[in-house]
Amino acid sequence: MTLSFTRNKIVEVEPLSENLLGIGWRLTDSLTEAEILMKVRLPGLEITEVKARMERCPHPECSSAPGLIQKVVGVRVGPGLRKIVQGLIGGSSGCAELTEGVLECCNAVILHFTVPQIQANERGTEEERWKRHQEMLRFNPRLVRSCVAFADDSPLMQGLNL
Amino acid sequence: MITFSRSLLVGGEFLDETTLRLHGILEDHIYAMEIQMDVRVPDGVILAIEGWMKRYTTPVCPKAVDILQWAVGLSVREDGWISRVNREIGRKGCQHFAEILIECGRCLDPARMSMAVGEGLKTYPAQSPAQISRSWVEEHPEAQGYCLARP
Repeated sequence: MTLSFTRNKIVEVEPLSENLLGIGWRLTDSLTEAEILMKVRLPGLEITEVKARMERCPHPECSSAPGLIQKVVGVRVGPGLRKIVQGLIGGSSGCAELTEGVLECCNAVILHFTVPQIQANERGTEEERWKRHQEMLRFNPRLVRSCVAFADDSPLMQGLNL
Repeated sequence: MITFSRSLLVGGEFLDETTLRLHGILEDHIYAMEIQMDVRVPDGVILAIEGWMKRYTTPVCPKAVDILQWAVGLSVREDGWISRVNREIGRKGCQHFAEILIECGRCLDPARMSMAVGEGLKTYPAQSPAQISRSWVEEHPEAQGYCLARP
């Protein structure tokens, strides 16, 4: 069978200065081409700037969607983010693709901070790596029960009482 | 310098008139994973799913592959399906598998519309893609109520 549909999404984070991250997001699929450029200020993780472009879209109405995105300026990457962004630019009067794009930009910011922790966990013996995973769980209790690796019956949780 | 990058690729092929096969591939600085799932087009029910973990962070992560089977029988049209995937596959299995599955599920209607536009342009070359996609949405109430363009 030949391919009938393809969607390609990419999100990238680049530190612009000590207290500013730049995030670029791009969606290209058979019907749509869209882009978001966002800036997030540290340490508060506040969205300070955002721009969107819709290069190609299935419906003429989609071309007005980039104008909605300014509503997320001032929003912080933190608890309740999905609900806040969905309320501002999602739903039947918003744009589902740009809503997901903003959320994926914010998720990428969190993963940008996660990469060095994961890299640190890669060093040493298996026993040392295991201990570092457990230290990470003690330090980040929000990870507890967030996935199979940090479930109550996971060997990584043994002896932690979290 | 780029410090974090994530690519998510979804491909869709119609195996027959009522079955869409979706391949989702996630590759980022931390994770590399893949899902293949077959979706029954009329009702969005997931008929089969497979997953592969290629790069992950703990030795326990691969246990999440089996948990993907929970999704068989789920419809990507039913209310709250995304929350259910996040809860049952994300929290009990792997959040990144859940992200790929959700993106694949979201591609069901765009894939159908894309095929309709492609075929429509062959049959009615004078029509624009926007006209064909508008007609398609009007003829498919299940794809309405989604956004400002599909109210």
